[in-house]
Amino acid sequence: MTDAAVHNDAEHNVHASSSGISNVKLGMWLFLGSECLLFGGLISTYMLYRGRVGQGPTPSQVFDIPFTSVSSFVLLMSSLTMVLAVSSATKKDDRGTTLWLTVTALLGATFVGGQVYEFTAFKSEGLGFGTSLFGSSFYTLTGFHGVHVTVGIIMLMALVGVVQRGEIPGSKAETIEMIGLYWHFVDIVWIVIFTLIYLIPV
Amino acid sequence: MIASVLRRFRRWLPASAIVIALSGCATNAPQDTWKPKGPNAAKIDNLQKPIFAVAGIIGVIVFAAVIYCVIKFRDRGQPIPHQSHGNPALEITLTIIPALILTVVGVFTVRTVFDLAKTNDTEMIINVTGQQWWWEYDYPVQAQFGITQPIVTSGQLVFPAGTKVLLRATSRDVIHSFWIPALNGKRDVVPGRVQTNRIEADLPGIYAGQCTEFCGLSHANMRMEAVALSKEDFAKWVANQQSAYVAPADGTLAKEGESVFLSQCVRCHQVNGLTRADGSPAIAAADENVWSGVAPNLTHLMSRNTFAGAMFDLAKPACRDEVWESDPATFGGKYLQGVTEDCLNQSALRAWLRNAPAVKPMYTNPAQLTKTGGKTRGMPFLGLSESDIEKLVAYLLTRS
Amino acid sequence: MAIIERSTPQVALPLVEVPVTASSTFGVLKRPVAATGWKSWLFTVDHKKIGIMYGAAAMFFFVLGGIEALLIRLQLAAPNGKVLNADVYNQMFTMHATTMVFLFVMPMAAAFANYFIPLQIGARDVAFPRLNAFGLWALISGGIFLNLAWFLGGAADGGWFMYAPNSGPVFSPTHGIDFWALGLQITGIASLAGAINLIVTLLNMRAPGMSLMRLPIFSWMALVVQFLLLFAVPVITVALFLLTFQRNFGATFFDVSAGADPLLWQHLFWIFGHPEVYILVLPSFGIVSEVLPVFSRKPLFGYPFVVFSGAAIGFVGWGVWAHHMFASGLGPVSVAVFSMTTMLIAVPTGVKIVNWTLTLWGGKLWFTTAMKFSIALIVLFTIGGLSGVTHAVAPADTQQTDTYYIVAHLHYVLFGGAVLGLFSGFYYWWPKVFGKMLSERIGTWNFWLMVIGMNLTFGPMHILGLQGQPRRMYIWTEARAGEGFFNLGFWNLVSSIGAFVIASGVLLFLINVVRTARSGIPAPLDPWDSRSLEWMTTNPPKEHNFDVIPTVHHLDEFFHRKYKEGDNGEMVKIKTAEEILTEQEQAADKHIHMPSPSYWPLVLALGLPITAYGVIYSIPIAVFGGFVILFAAFGLGLEPATAKDTDFDPPTDTDATSGEVVPVD
Repeated sequence: MTDAAVHNDAEHNVHASSSGISNVKLGMWLFLGSECLLFGGLISTYMLYRGRVGQGPTPSQVFDIPFTSVSSFVLLMSSLTMVLAVSSATKKDDRGTTLWLTVTALLGATFVGGQVYEFTAFKSEGLGFGTSLFGSSFYTLTGFHGVHVTVGIIMLMALVGVVQRGEIPGSKAETIEMIGLYWHFVDIVWIVIFTLIYLIPV
Repeated sequence: MIASVLRRFRRWLPASAIVIALSGCATNAPQDTWKPKGPNAAKIDNLQKPIFAVAGIIGVIVFAAVIYCVIKFRDRGQPIPHQSHGNPALEITLTIIPALILTVVGVFTVRTVFDLAKTNDTEMIINVTGQQWWWEYDYPVQAQFGITQPIVTSGQLVFPAGTKVLLRATSRDVIHSFWIPALNGKRDVVPGRVQTNRIEADLPGIYAGQCTEFCGLSHANMRMEAVALSKEDFAKWVANQQSAYVAPADGTLAKEGESVFLSQCVRCHQVNGLTRADGSPAIAAADENVWSGVAPNLTHLMSRNTFAGAMFDLAKPACRDEVWESDPATFGGKYLQGVTEDCLNQSALRAWLRNAPAVKPMYTNPAQLTKTGGKTRGMPFLGLSESDIEKLVAYLLTRS
Repeated sequence: MAIIERSTPQVALPLVEVPVTASSTFGVLKRPVAATGWKSWLFTVDHKKIGIMYGAAAMFFFVLGGIEALLIRLQLAAPNGKVLNADVYNQMFTMHATTMVFLFVMPMAAAFANYFIPLQIGARDVAFPRLNAFGLWALISGGIFLNLAWFLGGAADGGWFMYAPNSGPVFSPTHGIDFWALGLQITGIASLAGAINLIVTLLNMRAPGMSLMRLPIFSWMALVVQFLLLFAVPVITVALFLLTFQRNFGATFFDVSAGADPLLWQHLFWIFGHPEVYILVLPSFGIVSEVLPVFSRKPLFGYPFVVFSGAAIGFVGWGVWAHHMFASGLGPVSVAVFSMTTMLIAVPTGVKIVNWTLTLWGGKLWFTTAMKFSIALIVLFTIGGLSGVTHAVAPADTQQTDTYYIVAHLHYVLFGGAVLGLFSGFYYWWPKVFGKMLSERIGTWNFWLMVIGMNLTFGPMHILGLQGQPRRMYIWTEARAGEGFFNLGFWNLVSSIGAFVIASGVLLFLINVVRTARSGIPAPLDPWDSRSLEWMTTNPPKEHNFDVIPTVHHLDEFFHRKYKEGDNGEMVKIKTAEEILTEQEQAADKHIHMPSPSYWPLVLALGLPITAYGVIYSIPIAVFGGFVILFAAFGLGLEPATAKDTDFDPPTDTDATSGEVVPVD
């Protein structure tokens, strides 16, 4: 130990970790655990209030389930392409990584675009943010999810840039895997939200 | 003084901590939680007193152990003790003992919780509605008590002693909490919900309470009083509340007061049976002027001896004390006299009429009313002239 | 200094001012690789400097919250008080609680956690040093933002529990609650960042041999607290978002006329709020569990029980929230269930009291100021715990809740528990952090004034509450104060006098700090004959904490390096602290790369209040703030934790014979 340089480059884990999981991944897992409670709170609020429509439209009046199913499918597919991106990164295949990250980001953007369209359509059908408790809690829950997807897209695009420049702190594959964890989490949350909001009748 | 306190302290020292605390208590505190005056509060009291005792004893044991250690094991140059890491058997024993004590406490607690929640033997119902910063009490028609038309009152909750009364409570704005410690524990009143709480008083008398859920600016001034009357006295009270409106005689100051009332107060305050000059009934339009949509009903203002959310005494101190301090046998008669001209707390009532927000903090400043569409929360400054106030007081005195 | 190199034996060379070609992100903000002076604090990522700054900020807010408390007690010293009007009083008690909970106890616990966790587990820094710096600056900007409302139309006036619908736009027309909600959102982000960081640190960066069951107890309690934060903060985040959306964007979450249920807020708030209570006291429990063994000269009695009871409190703490709502009208079944779970949580809490007392038992007690505070905590927290049991009994609680009895209870728990523990920690660890001893003589006065003051202040509140004085009232009236010499007026006055006694105790502490800074005695290496790893380095510790990462063989590793059990069971000193330190220095690692300072945490943290301000007043400002956050997040993400070698001139990543030596300061 005395002669070797000891890099306490903690964030990138040159040190062996006591738990066997790298710092960044463990950090991401913890963050996602915390996010579960965030979405748990928002989902509970929605479930409490979804039937309280006041004078405004009811869920079944505004929801377009085929449309949302398609955009949900798009988001699910993006998890698949994310897996491909991680696997390319592990193989140090920069071109494949760039490709699959871009595709993932595009699929995510398609989903967010679909959500923007959906919000506009609902708004024109008379469901505003303050129209009813259903409206407030619906837009808050799906809006929070949409922001999470958007943040994910920004991170994916940043990763593309980083891979292109070939410059990334720490291990490339590990960083991409960490962002991948986030991306999969956001997808899984959407499955829960989609089931609870759109598929289970009030 | 200090010496006497010390002496007192020393005398009680061997007893438990509760006794020490009790020796320093106020006498006759109106909201004392340890002086139940009805079966519901008594059930709570019977549960809590032994628990306070147990807690006190455990506390004394812990203090004794710590003090013993501090004296016995102080550093006197003894060698560094053996590095023992504990004694699991002792540890488990000392975990199980409190667990057992708490189990026993828990059993009694759960029994009392369900006992207090019972409502199926209710004899009377009163609706209680909280709003910033006063309480409204209304009595649905209950023929067995002579209530043949709904009664609406405020400030003092009047009910028959020895009767199981169910309060159905809600709120018109924010959350408040209804609490008459001598009769029962508190129950929040939540807008959009109706919650129930039972009260019953053993004897006639007046029992003080206070809103206990923080409800904004004048939370501290949102008091209430529960008045228990004997069954006969309660019947008299009901009869008076249902009596027809008697207009003041023409030409009196009170009659002039009636027209001031019609031009000013009726915007918010209802007096049942009051008619306008054209004979149409004067209906209060508090919903257009006050955020909660109501103001206290003043039909029988002088039958109660507080006003403005029980913040001020309507009776002079001497008259008030006579009612408060009378024994159960004579209480009803004194209370039913109401507030007469001799007893009226003129200065408080006039100050209130002159400028209500100056004596009770409320939201009446137009700058603060942008979010309420101009509606006030509480009684605004009316700019009444002294002579109008004179007339109003005379009129209100006829509302017995 | 970012990079410390030692050669063995150490040769002290004069520090040469070296020109630096700093790298940068986006070509702006050249990386501060060699910051000195105030910059070395502003841009630091050193967990010790961050810990000290957390402590200083928390102490500032403690004084602020204390002044608020004094104003409250001045107002209540006599009936119909005239010191504050109703409006200002309501702001005062709201901000007193908010300040003490979110801006004093939590950051002070974070100060201890930041400073001592890496030292206690034998690490050189936390897992994410820049995230750590971000947490500090976010906390400070959140705290300032919260208090900005005082100058912009009035602070929040809904109570720290901020029950809906009283917190709605109609009932609180000023911007106070907007500032409150968004300010807490910012401090929540800080807590979350800290929680993730410290959990990863504790799980991943322990020295070789330090299994979880050899983890010093303070670190253990901090671990439990960080998990509580990790899961509790998002719940309040949701609640605060709902509130902000209602107040600022027209949502209807708590609008009863739209059919909302006001109890939603209460559930969300207390699901956060009850774990929060343990977030506040467990760090102090950890501190006391360190201090008592040191000054009793024997190990913590039943270490595994203390650990597991702490973890049990952490779990059961999630199942008791509705005991804050016994009067809300939950129905008898819920009330009974939560009554039972609340009694259940008393058991692990009782275990701690028992273990502390038994730690004293048979010891060789040394009554330093730190020890006095810890012993006082056992006694005073017990009072708070026992009064807690009396309101676990739900029917009794319906009499007690929202009266001064609860104020008494919570202050015995939070002042008698949390604050006394923190003060114990100050006196115990001051020599470690600053290399100087706080005066024990002033400390003794400080201790007695605070303990007597606290009992004078909060003791009478038991009587006030049980005799019917509700809390949160800007005035009390003689009509409800009862008769006799010991009427409620008497006890209100005693309580107010007590508050000033506490204040004089705190003032003495501050005097002690200033005196020590000016002319304190330099601390010996191991002034208390301590037991855990943080004492196995210099006072104050070197920037890289340990010259060589120790290998751990025992709980209380440092003690076992100093002492051995003799033949007939007595403890024999085998080495002094100085000898152990010398051994370490001789075996020192040569190249120790520490994380480099960075601007980005500060920039990122400054983006938060800008955004929050914009949410209240003008959306374009919020958008601007959002871009600052995005920009800083990129800067932070793309910058390496340790500056590149080319940032240093000459490059330092050469072998040990290069001769470049930067003296350790």
